[in-house]
Amino acid sequence: MRRREFYRSIAALGCALLTASASFAEESAQELVRKAWDQQRGQTSVAEITMTIHRTDWERSMSMRAWTAGLDDALVRVTAPRKDAGNGTLTKDDAMWSFAPKINRVIKIPSSMMNQSWMGSDFSNKDVSRSTDIIDQYDHVLLETSEHEGKKVYVIESTPHEDSAVVWGKEVLTIREDFVLLSQEFFDQDGVSVKRMEAQEVGLLGGRPMATRLRMAETDQTEEWTEILYESLDFDVDLADSIFTLSNLRNPRE
Amino acid sequence: MGIELQMAWRNLWRQPRRTWLTVGAMVFANALLVFLLSLQLGMYKMMLDAGLRPFTGHLQVQQADYLEDQKLRQSVPAVADLAETLRSELGVDAVSARGAAFALASSEERSYGVQVVGVDPDHERSVSTIPSLVRQGRFFEDGDAAEVVIGSLLAKNLRADLGDELTLLGTGHDGSFAAGVAVIVGIFESGLAEMDRNLIELPLGYFQDTFAMNGAGHSVVVQVDRIAEVPKLVARAEELLPEGQDLAVRDWDALQPGLRQSIQSDLTSGMFTYLILVVLVAFSVLNTQLMSVLERTKEFGVMTALGVGPRRLGRLVFLETALLGFLGAALGIALGLVLLAFFARVGVSFPGLAELTAKFGLPGRIYPQFSWIGAVAGPAFVYLATMVAAIYPAVRLRFLEPVAAMRTA
Amino acid sequence: MATLRLALQLGWRNLWRNKRRTGIMLAAIGVGAWAMIFVTAFSRGMVDQVVRDGIRALPGHVQIHHPGFRDDPSVATLIDRPRADLVAALTDEAVTSWTSRVRVPAVVSSERETRGVTLVGIDPETERDISFVADDLVEGRFLESPEDKGLILGRKMAERLETGLGKRVVVMSQTPSNDIAERGFRIVGLFESELEAQELGFAFAGEEQVQSLLEIGDRTSEIAIAVADLEKVKPVFETVEAAAGEEVEVAPWFEVDSFLFSLHTMMDSFVYLWVIIVFLALSFGLVNTLVMAVFERVREIGLMLALGVTPRNIRAQIVAEALLLLVVGLVLGNVAAWVTLSLFKDGVDLSVVSEGLQQMGAASVLIPSVTLEDVLTANVLVLVLGFFASLSPAWRASRLEPVEAITKV
Repeated sequence: MRRREFYRSIAALGCALLTASASFAEESAQELVRKAWDQQRGQTSVAEITMTIHRTDWERSMSMRAWTAGLDDALVRVTAPRKDAGNGTLTKDDAMWSFAPKINRVIKIPSSMMNQSWMGSDFSNKDVSRSTDIIDQYDHVLLETSEHEGKKVYVIESTPHEDSAVVWGKEVLTIREDFVLLSQEFFDQDGVSVKRMEAQEVGLLGGRPMATRLRMAETDQTEEWTEILYESLDFDVDLADSIFTLSNLRNPRE
Repeated sequence: MGIELQMAWRNLWRQPRRTWLTVGAMVFANALLVFLLSLQLGMYKMMLDAGLRPFTGHLQVQQADYLEDQKLRQSVPAVADLAETLRSELGVDAVSARGAAFALASSEERSYGVQVVGVDPDHERSVSTIPSLVRQGRFFEDGDAAEVVIGSLLAKNLRADLGDELTLLGTGHDGSFAAGVAVIVGIFESGLAEMDRNLIELPLGYFQDTFAMNGAGHSVVVQVDRIAEVPKLVARAEELLPEGQDLAVRDWDALQPGLRQSIQSDLTSGMFTYLILVVLVAFSVLNTQLMSVLERTKEFGVMTALGVGPRRLGRLVFLETALLGFLGAALGIALGLVLLAFFARVGVSFPGLAELTAKFGLPGRIYPQFSWIGAVAGPAFVYLATMVAAIYPAVRLRFLEPVAAMRTA
Repeated sequence: MATLRLALQLGWRNLWRNKRRTGIMLAAIGVGAWAMIFVTAFSRGMVDQVVRDGIRALPGHVQIHHPGFRDDPSVATLIDRPRADLVAALTDEAVTSWTSRVRVPAVVSSERETRGVTLVGIDPETERDISFVADDLVEGRFLESPEDKGLILGRKMAERLETGLGKRVVVMSQTPSNDIAERGFRIVGLFESELEAQELGFAFAGEEQVQSLLEIGDRTSEIAIAVADLEKVKPVFETVEAAAGEEVEVAPWFEVDSFLFSLHTMMDSFVYLWVIIVFLALSFGLVNTLVMAVFERVREIGLMLALGVTPRNIRAQIVAEALLLLVVGLVLGNVAAWVTLSLFKDGVDLSVVSEGLQQMGAASVLIPSVTLEDVLTANVLVLVLGFFASLSPAWRASRLEPVEAITKV
């Protein structure tokens, strides 16, 4: 009789310990993701980017400049080639606007077009405007920890909340111990990989370790991809609030 | 033969009332068949015209997978040149190039997802009725102008009017962001809600510029005068397609699969009712001929006794029926054609028809169409049924016992 | 009375003096009567189905909405929840059920595909009795309450989206202030519909969930009302219209879909037209039979007249013979129609021409619809017309000169 009670209390203790460690892992996974995203964007940032879209029969590159403030505001403006120069995208909270000098109009992207390609790339408008959903719309669980080139790498499984406006079944992130996001893979609800973004090169940008070259492609597609190359990146620059306004999107003051 | 024909003819008029009643049944059925069949054919022509002339055309050249997926990237390169080639090689003038895309159209106040079609201002008129359905403003004159023609319901929903600017937003051929601003120069009204709510047209050059098409389009549309020419033209057009571009020629049946089927299902149910009519007439003839044979039992008995074989007597009955049928057919067709000629002029309408046909963008009046098939098919069937009905009375003659027959009162 | 009985007795006996002729005529009348009922039942079955499906396809019998809703069904055209006096009008005993719905254009996205759809926020309890959704559910469950977080999609839509039951999709639309409204929904049920447009056109969610998604409070798009039978539509419509107030539009189904209505009314004229055409085809044979019957019996009739039978009685006899012939033929035809129609009780699969039928809004399984009214119409019309048709031979018979008739060979 006594013995049984003893076993039972041991089992209870074991359970408690397991739960505690699980919640610890979750906490830290959440933390890891937040830190990785903070690292990419900082309080504010200004970046020079080259985006290359590769297709079976053609390839084209665009240069652009991007400003971000916090996790919600971003402005991207194309600087080259000439035919695309001046095209801009502003995202603020959930909303997204586009400007094209050719038609001289600021246009709010309607919800029905949020899943369409952003500037013809493998990124969707949604990828661009809602990239911080991962922080507040997902639950994160640490799957495994491994070593890569002498650094710890965390593999995190992120599952979207029931109500969230996310189509994916889950995402799997690999984050290096210095909070560099090495890859982000999108899975459907049957656990099949759909598309994958991967850091091709990692280096120091604006004084922080960062993926300097990223490639996004559909999982079964090797011939079509979009690559983003950071030429430069400065963090915590003083940015006027007026940068993230519709009038600045239309008439660049900077 | 001459004598037999004379005899048959004379026999018919031994009972003029009965003969006229039988002929009357045939005339009624034949005239009705001629008229109804022509009316039906007139309606089918109307359905085909209403289905194909506003926009679809009778055949189109497209990229092979475009019919299924309708993706912007499934394009026809150098579409205007291909249209020119087809125009000169097919010997058909009504050939025009088009491009098509989906876009978001925004006025000052509202936005709607629409189908955008780029059209060749010089040739679109020949393959589509939309240019002539522009009720306010005008159609295009310049192929590169930033102008747009929109449907009346769309204009209403957008709260936009002539002279207003319309912003178009979509994805270009290269996957890039496509945007344009065009001035509304015309508002069309087709009567088809779907079209008036969803369709906008741009000049082809401006369309290609906006959607980064680089000279490509999505279809070459061909309109013909007679629908029977379509298979021949499809075959000819297939030979003219440039190599290695994976293009295909689609006929109207592939472009609008419901159309042929709705005609077929209507024709099938029509045939069923006609068949019943023909069967009823056949019964009438059967009765008449059987009576006339039975009545003449004594007479036939005498003839058999005189050495006229039952075969010849059978032939006589058939000959009588043939004359009866011929009379019925001739008068029936004549009456049917008179009806046809009258209604082909004034059209046929009945309460509810206008509302019914409006759904398909058809006028509220059906004009029956004269055609040889419409005029002859029905009566031919009645004639055939009449002859079949004469078999039984003719066969009965063979079992005639001359002596017994002569004795019947 | 006695004369009538005598006339019927004599008529009946005369009918069977020439069994073959009567048999053929009975066959003709039988086929005619069968055709009248059979064809009418099928046509009405088709029309009924189109009308029923049309009403079940969402509108209900009477609907209330914003005056701009029919042209622009969106978040811009909402109405307030019904006030007390309107609710009172809706509790009328002729109203079987009423429900409110939010209807807005939306976009549904899965991992791989994005499609446009009409998002309908429903109250499952009341919706159940009005539209097709609950009945057509083939997998999963129906929504349980207006707060239910689940989504119901058409099966074809789920296929196009490459998703399925139990999966999550994202629904996006726009709020009245033009902001993006989006949320994940789990698919809890799939419906299957005969009409592809329905399966691809609608997605259903709990009304309160949709209202909170769109940030529209408790405003809604339409009130749909179902009544016990079509006869009740008009009075209910009038009551509701009086109670609904100026700022909303109240419309009965026949106004919302004039196509359906004209189909419905045209069906009645079709029944009459068809019965008359078949009768006319028959009448020639009928009159012919009577004429022959009179002709055969000229001497006998002459004798009867000479013996003092009144012409009236002779007439009654002939007319009775005609009517008896018709009654027996009609019985045969009705029985045949009953037998054949019960063979097709479960419907006829018309999937061969389904695309054509879909274009007309009909489903591909056709269930014939027999109404007492149609059967009576056919039978009564035939008897009445038959009576008139028999008058002429009857009149002739009664006016024979006795002496002449008797001496006639």
